[in-house]
Amino acid sequence: MSRSVEIEFRLNGVVRRAAVRADMSALAMLRDVLGLTGTKYGCGEGECGACTILVDGASLNACLLFAVDCDGREVTTIEGLANDPAAQRLQRAFAEHGAVQCGFCTPGMVLQAGRILARAGQPDRATIQRGLEGNLCRCTGYKKIIDAVEAAAKERAA
Amino acid sequence: MTVIERATLIGKRVPKMDAPEKASGKTRYIHDIDVSGQLWGKILRSARVHARIRRIDTSRAKALPGVHVVLTAADVPDQRPIGVNKDHPALKGDKVRCVRDEIAAVAADTEAIAQAALALIEVEYEDLPVIADPEAALAPGAPVINEKHADNVAMRFDYAHGDVAQGEAESDVVVEDSFKLHYVTHCCMGVSGVIAEFDASGNLLLHSNTQVPFLHKREFAEILGIDPGRIRIVQPPIGGGFGSKLDIYPFEIIAVYLARAARRPVKLVYTREEEFLASPTRQPVILRLRSGCRKDGSLTFRSVETLHDNGAYTSWGATTPFVMMQTFSSLYRVPHCKYHTTVAYTNNPYAGSFRGYGNLQATFAVESHMDKLAEAVGMDPLAFRLRNAQDPGEVTGQGMTFKSCGFKDCLRSAAERSGFLARHAEYRAAQGAGGRVKRGIGIASMLHVGGGACGTILKLDDFAHVTLMTGASEIGQGSETVLAQLVCEELGLPLSAVTVVNNDTDITPWDVGVHASRTTFIAGNSAIGAARKAKAKILAAAAKKTGVPEGELDLVGGFVVRAASGEAIVELAKLLRGLHFSDKAELVMTTHYYEPPSVHQDKGFKGDVSAAYAWATQVVEVEVDLDTGIVKMTKVTGAHDVGRVINRLGIEGQIEGGVVMGQGYALTENLVIEDGRVKNPSFRDYKLVTAPEIPEMDLAFIETMDGEGPQGAKGVGEAPAICIAAATANAICNATGVRIYELPFTPEKVYRALKGVAPKVAWRTRAAA
Amino acid sequence: MPDAGALERYAAPRALAEALELLRDGDATIVAGGTDLMPQSHSGKARFGSLLLNIRRIAELGGIALEGDTVRIGALTSISALLASPLVRERLSILAQAADQFASEQVRNAATIGGNVCNASPAGDTLVPLIVLDAAVELAAKAGGGIETRTLPLQDFLTGPGRTQRRPHELMTAVRVPLPPAGFVARFYKHGTRPALDISTISLGIGGVRRGDRLERVRVAFGAVAPTPIRARAAEALIEGRALDAAAIEAAAEAAHDEVRPISDVRASDWYRQELVRNMTRRVLAHVAFG
Repeated sequence: MSRSVEIEFRLNGVVRRAAVRADMSALAMLRDVLGLTGTKYGCGEGECGACTILVDGASLNACLLFAVDCDGREVTTIEGLANDPAAQRLQRAFAEHGAVQCGFCTPGMVLQAGRILARAGQPDRATIQRGLEGNLCRCTGYKKIIDAVEAAAKERAA
Repeated sequence: MTVIERATLIGKRVPKMDAPEKASGKTRYIHDIDVSGQLWGKILRSARVHARIRRIDTSRAKALPGVHVVLTAADVPDQRPIGVNKDHPALKGDKVRCVRDEIAAVAADTEAIAQAALALIEVEYEDLPVIADPEAALAPGAPVINEKHADNVAMRFDYAHGDVAQGEAESDVVVEDSFKLHYVTHCCMGVSGVIAEFDASGNLLLHSNTQVPFLHKREFAEILGIDPGRIRIVQPPIGGGFGSKLDIYPFEIIAVYLARAARRPVKLVYTREEEFLASPTRQPVILRLRSGCRKDGSLTFRSVETLHDNGAYTSWGATTPFVMMQTFSSLYRVPHCKYHTTVAYTNNPYAGSFRGYGNLQATFAVESHMDKLAEAVGMDPLAFRLRNAQDPGEVTGQGMTFKSCGFKDCLRSAAERSGFLARHAEYRAAQGAGGRVKRGIGIASMLHVGGGACGTILKLDDFAHVTLMTGASEIGQGSETVLAQLVCEELGLPLSAVTVVNNDTDITPWDVGVHASRTTFIAGNSAIGAARKAKAKILAAAAKKTGVPEGELDLVGGFVVRAASGEAIVELAKLLRGLHFSDKAELVMTTHYYEPPSVHQDKGFKGDVSAAYAWATQVVEVEVDLDTGIVKMTKVTGAHDVGRVINRLGIEGQIEGGVVMGQGYALTENLVIEDGRVKNPSFRDYKLVTAPEIPEMDLAFIETMDGEGPQGAKGVGEAPAICIAAATANAICNATGVRIYELPFTPEKVYRALKGVAPKVAWRTRAAA
Repeated sequence: MPDAGALERYAAPRALAEALELLRDGDATIVAGGTDLMPQSHSGKARFGSLLLNIRRIAELGGIALEGDTVRIGALTSISALLASPLVRERLSILAQAADQFASEQVRNAATIGGNVCNASPAGDTLVPLIVLDAAVELAAKAGGGIETRTLPLQDFLTGPGRTQRRPHELMTAVRVPLPPAGFVARFYKHGTRPALDISTISLGIGGVRRGDRLERVRVAFGAVAPTPIRARAAEALIEGRALDAAAIEAAAEAAHDEVRPISDVRASDWYRQELVRNMTRRVLAHVAFG
């Protein structure tokens, strides 16, 4: 067993220290060490996007990221978006457009959708679809998720 | 005078009540729940497909620091086998029959320690011959997989109406083909998990993802030999169901055994790989279909034989013939029909229930043949189907009575909106033309049942807030929103005035579980029944208080009003407080138990099994790349007879999700099993449809206002996935002239078929042999 | 939970020299984006050495720069950064095409070109375009006092699935890509039902300098048809400098079909892979030749 490593990083705007095993994933750290369960385990190999988080502003799969590599970086999880107007707009759009069913993929979808909107002002549907290609959903058939992202973009523009 | 406007939520786009929680990541699924003092459970599964266990040594695992309990079958002599055939012990003792077989389990302080302990368990196997093919399992002298079934037959079904020989004699055209349907699995985004804990008195509390909590409760009572009243099941929100949580599985029992032995709560959660290896699948089927018709296009007979690979143990997959035979016998008018199924034990993974329950498989074969027969008699696929489609009022050979039936409207609507006939002719004419990408269009339809019974308890507090306690679980499909809408409609309240409690067997009334597209219909009727009783009680009290006759009162917008004018008479909350705090201290609390007016089938599988029947037609458009075999699904046009739309947003979501699940079944998903081993237990190689791949979807609802349905509604949960593969097969044939009899239509399979190098599915049935 | 094996230490140096010293001490597992290492360690395919060496903080390993006639792409360059680079998009467009079809945005943000090269998957998405572009791999090591570097053609660097010529004490520092000459056109094709997020059944890249109806300096490369991505020399020879008509394209496609020796696995059979090689060579070559 590897010894634990002390790291310090900014988590949802607040500086955190944590002692993590060197082989631990950021996902395990967030859920099991820090108790933030909004980031979901779906596959553990970067195929489903349920564990999407933002690191230094870019979306990453927390299951592929070594927890130790969070050291000195800025990490945002779904819990960190509670007061973020752009995220709230998306979350409202997800509810109003029926983009949530079982909801297990939803936090990851919301985070990734936020990146799509941050990059492109008015993304077309194809751009939204490509942007969500790393986020699996088994319930909705994606259409209403795409609708929600499109609506949030329009609302922001209005 | 204050007039209260009447507003209805029925048919509106009503957001799901739980969506804000879920979208903000606050919802706690089973994986997110920890219980004080909890240990982690892990299961050791067989390294062999079929073997005798010579020896298991757990001493090194037991010695690992942090390990509390290690169990093998020898430690639980009171095991009772589970499953539809009661052929499945949770922990296997002397023999393993399948790679998912559980042979030992560990409870430890952490997941990592439990995992490390598994690696320290030594198992000595003696290999037995592997039966990976159901035909081989039925061969004389085949090794026996389950000792109680020496012939390796888990189940048989025989159904008949009419006389197929006579039907064949009357036929101008007869076609016969074999079809092969593959393994797919549910892939719920939330992996399976359970937390088991006993209190100091030995009462069991299970945090469980089951879709059938009341059936589970009874079964666990039998397993533990305790009174069912001592078992409570709490269901946290579930990360997807689709039928996967309809049976009881070894991991749940093992968690209970571990908790019992450790006297500590035990949490057991799968990895994704384990989810692929150890979850149920959709039933794989080999199917031989012989059908005939007259020159005028009327069907004469249908004769079906299927062979189901049961896997090593019997779960719900074995019983899918119940639903399959309904499609064979009753989707279209068939005067003579015969169906035989053999369900054979093998060493493969076992199939469970999965959205559609055999109907995808049956519809694939039937609708492929409808196109072939149409072609043979020179009719277009739509006219041929309309010639044979059921009408309202029809009683089928299997005894189903279609009180409401929008089948022909579905056919016409889907065909018209997709431009089916013109495109079908155009693409067909272009088959021989140049170009490496061919377009095609195909049509298919389905019939599906729904049933079961459900109870509701409803209470109104002194602020006119309603708590609806229902046995119908929410599995993401939006049932709690629909039930709340139905109650609001009766009581004239906004959605915000309703809380739905649906997740605790100590509180909610009995329900048979979430399956069979039944929740809106059955639980909806139950909720309406309870709400109507509450309304009657309230209006009687209001009449007494105001002197206005009951019959002239109504509940609108939180007020008791004059029904005719809408004039507000008294605020509902105020009236309720008056009742609560009067000398008689009355509470408004009602119960209702709804049992649909369906009948049980007789021994010949005949009877009107469902109170209502759902219908749908789907038209699929594809592009086929002749250089690669890649089939791109470009558009799906669906017409669904749903009785009535209750929540438009919810029903669209159900249908779109089902369509894309059907797309996966048709094109991309394939759980590859070779010699009993799962070859692709990950999302890397088990391909779910992703966002860029979805087709354009155009949906229409045919509202037939079913007389028995809540507000006229019928079930819809399973319907949308059912016809997609069948319509896709027809579309590929329309594009290329090549018919493929085997799913899924992965690029290589399609390419081989286009090149003519794919062997046609051939299965000699026992009857033919 | 993965077996952490012998893992004892973690280091995240900021200077290349420091990283090379740590490597010289031996038994290190190098991590950059982690997108390959993490799942490999979970599945037991990769075991940790005693040191987990995180190279992601070494500034010298980043950046995309034009140095004379060579584009130097630092090993830590993420796939997203490749996509965002005007230099890559305009001058090395086949590499941008492959980057666009690489996994998902979340993975592209983490995965690095150095990781994709050193992981040496036969299906590695950036490898085929890099071979078409005659890329070379730059390696550094600390021997005695200073840092020594060497450069190897990518084709030679890759020796088998997961195997390269990198020595245990060496670190891959960059990919060096000579700027293609004027008139160079190239296309990448990856077979799958999805736009990205797919391990290719086969991939192919074809490039050349267009002169009228001819292609010169032709490169035809395939992924997932051999233990490493390969060049199809026979097909190249049939195209090089010749007038390209339907018959010439067909001949080249047949040659490519005949010279690859793919395997059968859960994703596809060898036969189908060969068919794809022929059919898609035909299609992509026509694109490259005629635009």
